[in-house]
Order: sequence, then structure tokens, then C-alpha cells
Amino acid sequence: MRFSLTSLMAGAALLASSLSALAAPTEITDALGRKVTVALPVKRVAVNFNFEEFTAVAGVEGWQKVVGISRAPWEGWRPVIFNRYKAVIPNLAAMPDIGHSDDNSFSAEKVIGLKPDVLLMSEWGYKALATQMQQIEGAGIPVVIIDYNAQLLERHLASTRALGKVMGAEARAEGLASLYEREYNDVLARVAKAKAAGAPTKKVYVELGQAEAETVGNTYNNTMWGKIITTLGAQNIATGKIPGPWGPLNAEAVIAENPDLILMASSSWVNRPKAVRTGYDIPETETRASLMPYAQRPGWANLKAIQAGDINAIEHGLARTLYDFVAMQYIGKRLYPEQFADVDPVASFRAYHKAFLPIAFSGTWMLPLKP
Amino acid sequence: MSAISLTATYAAMGARRVAVLAIGSAAILVSLVLDVATGPAFLPVGAVAKSVFGLAQDRTVDAIVWSIRLPIAFVALVVGAALGLSGAIMQTILNNPLASSYTLGVSAGAGFGAALVIVLGVAMPVPEAWGIPLMAFLFAGIACAGVYGIGQARESSPEMLVLAGIALLFLFQALLALLQFVASPEALQQIVFWLFGSLQKASWSKLWIITAVLVACIPLLIVDVWRLTALKLGDERARGLGVDVARLRLRSFVLISALTGVAVAFVGTIGFVGLVAPHIARMLVGEDQRSFLPASTLYGALLLSLASIASKTVLPGAIVPIGIVTSLIGVPFFVWLILRNRRAFW
Repeated sequence: MRFSLTSLMAGAALLASSLSALAAPTEITDALGRKVTVALPVKRVAVNFNFEEFTAVAGVEGWQKVVGISRAPWEGWRPVIFNRYKAVIPNLAAMPDIGHSDDNSFSAEKVIGLKPDVLLMSEWGYKALATQMQQIEGAGIPVVIIDYNAQLLERHLASTRALGKVMGAEARAEGLASLYEREYNDVLARVAKAKAAGAPTKKVYVELGQAEAETVGNTYNNTMWGKIITTLGAQNIATGKIPGPWGPLNAEAVIAENPDLILMASSSWVNRPKAVRTGYDIPETETRASLMPYAQRPGWANLKAIQAGDINAIEHGLARTLYDFVAMQYIGKRLYPEQFADVDPVASFRAYHKAFLPIAFSGTWMLPLKP
Repeated sequence: MSAISLTATYAAMGARRVAVLAIGSAAILVSLVLDVATGPAFLPVGAVAKSVFGLAQDRTVDAIVWSIRLPIAFVALVVGAALGLSGAIMQTILNNPLASSYTLGVSAGAGFGAALVIVLGVAMPVPEAWGIPLMAFLFAGIACAGVYGIGQARESSPEMLVLAGIALLFLFQALLALLQFVASPEALQQIVFWLFGSLQKASWSKLWIITAVLVACIPLLIVDVWRLTALKLGDERARGLGVDVARLRLRSFVLISALTGVAVAFVGTIGFVGLVAPHIARMLVGEDQRSFLPASTLYGALLLSLASIASKTVLPGAIVPIGIVTSLIGVPFFVWLILRNRRAFW
């Protein structure tokens, strides 16, 4: 009996796997909890955003099924990173462009014409393109929403699992989701322990160091970096001081608040010679040199953060990703050095590359001005 | 000049008008066909034609042709027509070549109305997809009423109305900037979208609404056509001919606000058509409103239809926002139009 049950199960599994070669309508729960029916396995996919998360889940081989992407938010926003992936993903260079919501170039007709089995869409893109989404869904193409922007644990997990199910890489997606959940909870547990031990609530100022030291860049109020700071139990000095979720804070307000920790969001932007620079090709000396002019802003010399050398560069591309726990580890370590003594965020990022990404880790991603 | 040659001249002018309208209509047909035939999916023309005439069933082609290309092509025509017509009425009643819904705050008012819904989520008993056009329409009306109301205070002379329009333009732009300042990034993005102007949100139901408003306005205009022509001789002479100038302006403002409001509400602020189409019409048929108004309508439709084609073909495979296309292509064309004509039209 036992034997026949095993063989029955084996037979059923065999049947299931041979059936899956045909398109089977399967219900998928996306990041927003929408139930979407997708015929699995998919052969053709169109992708609007979160390309690095897609790669982590589906691998380079998953890209063989991609028939179109929104090029602007990857090639345009993170050209250096895009070029790295272009070198390892054969069809990326000539990938058809489905357009992008920000510049109003998104084309429903282009998407439908590419005949994808599914469209993977960012939450903000989906909301901004209501008519186009109706047209695409009307043509029988299911739309699955992926959302890492909200910086919410459950959306990160749901997005990752939805990617895994669509791309037939559920084991890998589950591995990523459990890694993220584990690291996220570990960071919060350390913060709670530090708080219980009487750690003070530190004041943090975060700014996008994209233009030049003379220009005050955007800060974040309750989203992206702002959300991460408050999640980590620190006080974001911009909270309630800027009208929208992001925008520049008055230079005087920064001095008056006298933050304990300053974070300059940095990246390898093109044609931004005075930006704070981090990324695959950037050595530590270059990051520190680019950070220096910001530390020397008028009135900043006496700030607690500057005197302690605690002005930091942190790659802007780390926020709203599946590996943003690395940024949480780094900021947590600056806030509560004792509780995070055995945490090495750079090593975490290196390990994440090794385990999930087709490109090698290199360069500088986060560091304080004072070594 | 003898009576016979006068009659002959008049007949020749009449023939010219008929020719201008006929050529315009033919050009619109050609443009419509091209608009439906082109797009970033690069469908074969034969497949598109088969889908249009229901000769073949292909889900992909049908979805592209019937839910995207056809509504866009027709909406381009009716929106262009509405903007051309409202611009023409505005230039006539204000006796000013710079008048259009775009330059006199009506579009800016509509933009502010749309932004109010997008940013503040102003509670409306309708879904958001219809809340935005409704508020845009409402604020286009408020802007028109504002222009008329301020102008009215000083006997509604054309100069006063134009200045009132410019004042409202700046007021609504400032209010819009204020909303953008407090907007969330998502809302900001939506506002920018809206202000770019786009035919991508065209649908059959929107097409019927715009068409209904346009068709409803035409008989109301036909009644006033001779009065509008008289107005071009100046307020004094029009009054001498028995025209109640103030009431005529009021009626015209109501029509302008309906035409602009409904056009702008669904596609956003597409500039320039309302300014350029009447100028083209004036150069072709002159000031007689009986042919000037239809010509402005036709050439407005043609302009926006051509812009729709250009927006798809300038960068093959991509769609350039139509508002940008109308301005980028329209401005040099407009300057050329003004410079090549030695004859003064104003």
C-alpha cells in the first residue's frame, strides 16, 4: 500500500509536470493582493520595472522570455548598472522599449503588439496608466503588479513570490523572500534590543547628493529613506517639515536641528560630476573625495554629525529593492554600533550578488567620510 | 467697379470657400486613414484594414485597432475641431489674434480643476476616471465666467476681456504650481501627464461625449453667424446693425467654455491648435464667419490628426506626447505662416 501510494504520487507529479508544459491558467496573487489569472508557464513576458529583482528571481535564463521592457527607468536612471547587465544578458541591448509612465511614452499598443503572456508592472506605473492597463487587460494580457517602493515587508515578500510564480522559479523566489524576511526581522530585533538597553533616539538627515554641495537636494518624508530611518527607530528631521513625501529641506532647518547622522544618497549618475559617487566602478577614495565638499557646507562644521565624521555616502539605488536590507543594516550600524557590531553590510551585499545576481560585486556602495 | 465684376468677384470668393472646405475635408479623410494605419506595433496595413472592416479575427490586431487606434484617431479629430472652433469664436468676439483657450486661462483653469482632483482627491460622487474630466470641465467654465465677469465690469470691451483672460491665466498657473508643490510624487506625475496632453486615454465613450457637445454647439452658432460677422466691423457698427453685443459675447463665452472644457477635459491641455487653426482658416477664406467658423473647425481637426500621426512617427516605436508635438511642429509652422503672407490679416 505504501509502495503504491508513493508510485501514485510520483505518477501524479509526472502528470503535473507534463501538464505544465501546456499553458495552464493559474491564479497569482500580486503585490497589492490582486488575484490575476496567468497561463503558466509563460513564454513571453513584458517588464516595466524592478529589473534587478526580476533577475534575482528568474536568473539570466529568465530573460530569454522577456520580449519588451521600459528602458528609461533602467538604462536612463542607472546607466552604469544597466551596462553591467547588458554584458551578461544577450538580448538586453536590442530589447524593444514599451515606454515609460514618467515621460508619457508608455504605449499600450506596443505592449499588445509584442504579444506577451503577462505584463509585470510597477504599482506607480499601474496607477498612472489606468486607460492603457484597461486596454492591455482587454486584449487578454494579464497584468501582475510588483511593488518594492512602499518599503513594506509584506509587499516585498508578495512581489518576490509573484515574480517566482510567474517565471516558474518558485524555489528561488522563496529563498529570496525568506532571506529578506530573516534579515529584515534581524535588523528590527537588534534595534529593539538597542532601544531596550536605553539607546537614545538619534536625529538623522538624509539628502539626495545628486547636484552639487551648493544646491540643497531632496530629502524624504515618510517614504523611501525617510521610511527606513523611522523604521530603524531614529528621528528623521525632515518629518513634517516638507509638504510632500520628498523635496528640499530649508538649509537653516538642518543646522537648527543639528543631526547626529547625515546620509547623502549617492550613485553613478551620468553627467553629474559634482554628485556624491558610489557604484560598481567607484573606489572608496573617489566616494570620499566627492563627499568632502558636502561636509564643508557653510554652517555645517559645528554639526554633531560632521564633528563625529558621521556624514555618509549610501547608494540611492539600494532603496526600494529586494536588497534594501543591506542599507538597513548599514544605517542600523551607524545608529547602534554595539548591537550591529557583528553585522557587515558590505559583506551582505557581496553575498547577495554571489547567490542571486549574474554580475560580480565590486566598487563602493556605502561608507562614512571618516574611515 | 461695376456691378457685374462685383458679382463675379463674390462668386469667385464663394467658389474658393467651397474649394477650401472640400480640400480640408479630403485631407482629413487621408489623415484619418494614416492615423489608423500607423502605430508603434507596426501592424501590416492589410491586417489593420481587415480588422477595421471585420474581415479577419485576430485578438491582438483587433485590440490594437478597435480599443486603441480608432478611438485615438477619431478623438484627435473631434478635439481638434472643438479647439479650432472655440479658438475662432474667441478671436472673433475679442477681436484679437492672440486669443485662444490656451492663452486666456481657460485651459489653465481646466488644468487646475484636474489637478485638484488628482492631488486632493476632491470628493466627487463619480469614479476618479470621470471626476478629473468633470472638474476640468467645471473649471474651464469658471475661468470663462471669470474672464467675462471681470471684463463685464468695464462694459466688456475686447481689450478688457483679454486682460482679464491674461490675469486668470497667471492666477490659475500660480494655483496649479501651488498644488504641484504640495503634491505627492505619484500625483505630481499624474498632473504632469495631464498637462502634457495625451490622446492615449481616448475611448469610445469619451468620443461620443465630445462629439455630442460639438454637434450641439453648431446650430447655436449658425443662429449667431451673421452677428459675429457684424461684430468684426467693431462694437459700434455691430450695435448700429441691431446686435446686442454684450449678450452675443455672453452666449459665445458659454459655447467656448463648453467646447474647450469638453476637449481639454479628456485629453489634457493640448495647446496651439486653438490659436493656429483660426489663423489658417482666416488666410484661406477671410473673415466671413459663415465660412471662417467651419474652416477653423475643419483645419483644427486636420491639425490635431496630423499631430497624432507625427507623435507616432517622429520617433518610430515610441509615442511623443501630443501636446509637445503640436507646439514643436506648430510654432515654426505658425511663424512661417505669418511671415510668408505680406498681406496683413490684423
